[in-house]
Amino acid sequence: MILASMRNVSKVFTDTRNGRGLVALNGIDLDIKEGEFLCLVGSSGCGKSTTLNLLAGFESPTRGDVSFKGGKVNGPSPERGVVFQEPSLYPWMSVLQNVMFSVQGDEGKERVAMEYLRMVGLDGFAASRPSDLSGGMKQRVAIARALAMGPDLLLMDEPFGSLDEQTRRKLDNEVLRLWKDGGKTVVFVTHNIEEALMLGTRIVLMSASPGRIEKEWTLEPGWPRDLSSPSMVMLKGEIIGMLQACACANGAAPARLVTIGE
Amino acid sequence: MNGGKAQFEFRPETARLMGKNAWNAFLGILVVVLIWWSVAEAMMFLRGVPFPTPPETFHAFWQALMGADVHGEGIFAHTNASLQRWGQGYLIALVLGLTLGLAFGTMPRLHEVGMVSVYVFQMIPGLAWIPIAMLIFGLGETATVFIIVMTAIPPLVINTAGGIREVPEVYTRVARMSGKDDSALFMNVLLPAASLSIINGMRIGLANGWRVLIAAEMVVGVALGLGFSIYQSRYSLDFTASFVSIMVICMIGLTIEKLLFVSMENRVRNRLGLDRED
Repeated sequence: MILASMRNVSKVFTDTRNGRGLVALNGIDLDIKEGEFLCLVGSSGCGKSTTLNLLAGFESPTRGDVSFKGGKVNGPSPERGVVFQEPSLYPWMSVLQNVMFSVQGDEGKERVAMEYLRMVGLDGFAASRPSDLSGGMKQRVAIARALAMGPDLLLMDEPFGSLDEQTRRKLDNEVLRLWKDGGKTVVFVTHNIEEALMLGTRIVLMSASPGRIEKEWTLEPGWPRDLSSPSMVMLKGEIIGMLQACACANGAAPARLVTIGE
Repeated sequence: MNGGKAQFEFRPETARLMGKNAWNAFLGILVVVLIWWSVAEAMMFLRGVPFPTPPETFHAFWQALMGADVHGEGIFAHTNASLQRWGQGYLIALVLGLTLGLAFGTMPRLHEVGMVSVYVFQMIPGLAWIPIAMLIFGLGETATVFIIVMTAIPPLVINTAGGIREVPEVYTRVARMSGKDDSALFMNVLLPAASLSIINGMRIGLANGWRVLIAAEMVVGVALGLGFSIYQSRYSLDFTASFVSIMVICMIGLTIEKLLFVSMENRVRNRLGLDRED
């Protein structure tokens, strides 16, 4: 079943000062299947984050349709939980209060919040402040908060990009576990090919100038993945090869600049 | 990392730190007094003017505390009058300034249109408000309060609006994704996030209003007030009396700053978790 989809979506960001536009996405068609773990990969500037923001409802498409569960996406909603790249916990609230903030409904917020904190292993830090936590712990709280909304779709925008390798691997596995246990659909944006190969059921490669989908690959389920197996090595080589071939990797402008009215 | 405790603990180092701060403050004041004294002696020597020295001023201050008149009234009467005018002015400025600041901060179109006037008002020096005050209100308490209000409002608006606009976009996105409506976003996210800026604006506005007392009390029409007393030396040539009033103004300003704002700022910083040590 298709949970969300983008049909012929283009997104242009306009510089209001000089009327020039940045074509971030050009004619994207993407279906998000229920229950899958989709990894969006590509170098910086190819539109991965824009795609995520469109799915979440933070942005609306310049052209085309973004739909969720059959209806048009009109804005952000608790049905589409997001884990952001940058620190997003409120520093004046405790860890527990941060998670409670996103719990839906009027009753039992504390109980639900504690449950999700337990899921990410941070129930002992419920009374702590975000500033007391390490980067990895903060992102775990952010994940708990997103899940506590009870979303159907979990959107993660390079959530572990600023963390060290070890923490990242640990958190990758935690996300994988949460996905398997919870039966959610995950869209995971990353520029780290290995991370994508370790996690995803499907990998979509995007490229820039203008932002579009280059190719997609479906992977066999079965974790943990063995990256040293011949099929994996070949796949990794293919993806990296395509990444390097695309214009954005060669240091060209991240997207085509157009003058509005062209 | 302690697992779960978010309390601020009072350790022996804190007591030492507080003692150190008090000592630093004392040293700072001492430096100012010494500079003052040197300038006083130099001016008396070079220009033959009766520049009040620290000992003269402290002596006169002491006598004023004991009940001697300063420019015709007791020092407490002057102080009381000034505090009342300034208190009224600041309260009005607070209400107007915060309201406007919050409005400008949350409504971008209003901000575009309105902020230019605020910046213009901010540029007008305290003294320049005198003719405007006199034309609108004539002489009297209202004119004085008006001047205090007009000088205290701009920093309140600017810092409040700025604080709201500088709230990171991701904070707003988290709230929207969690289904929060405009008022929940405002009360639970925008206000707390902007609180440091807002307090800063309150602090600057307070100082502005207090510093303009001299100009403001020029139009008050009664011979009462610290600012009035300072200005009177122009006619009475009793400079010592003026210096006593200047001292009182500085002392009150410092006390309010230390008592009110430093504690408020510390509380907010604590809530925001900006005072954590690793």
